[in-house]
Amino acid sequence: MVSRETPPLRWMTDRGLCVVAGAGSLDLYRLLAGMCLPGVMEVVPADGSLLVVLEPGAAVPEKLLELLARGVPDGPPPSGAAPARLHRLPVRFDGEDLLEVAGRSGHTPEEVIGLLCSIELRVGFLGFQPGFAYLWGLPAELHLPRRASPRKRVPAGSLALAGGYCGVYPSAGPGGWHVLGSTRACLFDPEARPPALLQPGDSVRLDAA
Amino acid sequence: MIDVVRAGLQDLVMDLGRPGFRAQGVPECGAADRSALIWANRLVGNADNASGLELLLRGPTLRFPLGGRVALAGADMGARINGVGVERGREQAVPAGGLLELRQASAGLRGYLAVAGGIDAMPVMGSCATFLAGGFGGWKGRALKAGDRLPLGRPGRGRKGRLSCAACASALRVLPGPQLAGFSDAALKALTASEYRVSADANRQGLRLSGARLDYTGGQTGSQAVLPGAIQVPPDGQPIVLGWDGPVTGGYPVIAAIVAADLPHLGQLGPGDGLRLSFVSLDEARNAWRRLQQNLDEAILWED
Repeated sequence: MVSRETPPLRWMTDRGLCVVAGAGSLDLYRLLAGMCLPGVMEVVPADGSLLVVLEPGAAVPEKLLELLARGVPDGPPPSGAAPARLHRLPVRFDGEDLLEVAGRSGHTPEEVIGLLCSIELRVGFLGFQPGFAYLWGLPAELHLPRRASPRKRVPAGSLALAGGYCGVYPSAGPGGWHVLGSTRACLFDPEARPPALLQPGDSVRLDAA
Repeated sequence: MIDVVRAGLQDLVMDLGRPGFRAQGVPECGAADRSALIWANRLVGNADNASGLELLLRGPTLRFPLGGRVALAGADMGARINGVGVERGREQAVPAGGLLELRQASAGLRGYLAVAGGIDAMPVMGSCATFLAGGFGGWKGRALKAGDRLPLGRPGRGRKGRLSCAACASALRVLPGPQLAGFSDAALKALTASEYRVSADANRQGLRLSGARLDYTGGQTGSQAVLPGAIQVPPDGQPIVLGWDGPVTGGYPVIAAIVAADLPHLGQLGPGDGLRLSFVSLDEARNAWRRLQQNLDEAILWED
């Protein structure tokens, strides 16, 4: 049987190196994504961790190991990293779950809308659907678990929250988050570079439309 | 060009995928059995990454108004050209107006058809691979339908060769996953000592397995970035193996992950198929990858 000892480097198959970096994950992602290290195919941020995807069969680049040992340097990100942007998303707060979310957070719907429009959210990482950004920064009273039963179909542009995150569904599909409203912003365009509107590290402000 | 006379169960334009967009929420996609597509492409003189067709379980009927050269690899779909059975794993000429008929797959789940010149689809984010869930790439982001007319690229010169066909394997090698330490000893034993079966819930995004229950006693994991081959374990203890169209991040603990060299075999496993897993070391996984590259070269016996 395989050993349960945790090895020094953790792998996701033989081509993904898992790096747990906690709150520094986003900065480390931006640093590595801007560096284009040889042997590294891509860097994928997530919640408190990131994955360095290597060329199959390639050894871990020495430079990467040095960098991980050193940690993220202070100061501006390297010139290769795209600058973080602030996005303003116009939202119609007409979602099916607004009343329930208000009730569970001890607010009126108007207060929830006011709260959401007064804060700056930050893009942590993307996943679930192309262009689906997990936004951090919700106040604690809006940290709700997912819905008990997911909806079969949530329309494109739906603004929703669950598990401490807020997000907008770029395309229609099944979804288990609480839907608060909708935006007409285009979150994902395969022809655009980059294709996702919201990039890890960007900030988002919601405007009630 | 190719005219789709009758569509198969799910005919998808595929190349070797679109790496580099995971941070945008976009999986790599591409041929589930990459080896088979590469072989088929090489047999007709295409580049490895040329676009071909990935045919699931029941193949289509295709007409070649101008004729062409084709090769089939992967599952055997009982190919016939103008009614005459033809061997897979070698180049076959289709005369002008000729009909290529493909039927039920045996010895595998997915057949691959390469056409000299490749299918001239519009690349999206650098690849012609269909991403069904995202509705883009390949042929209009969807499976082929009767009436579709696919343009072909300019054919290169083929070499005469024969594929000494690689057999399907159901014994897959895995590496420990990032949350392995959080699983019980019983779970680790069960993962490799018992057989798992692919359930009916299996597609390009992932394969839900059924078999011995895997108990996770480790802590809550936040969403982590995952890769094809990762074996996630949801609370019901029945593992899910992620495929090439699977999500780029996931919240379930990952007990183990199938090594890159064995992913082509995973692409040939369908509902009801059994599979067995065994742990290997990182060095063994890297050697397996090198051997796969060698095997890609050596499996075709060139005849000139």
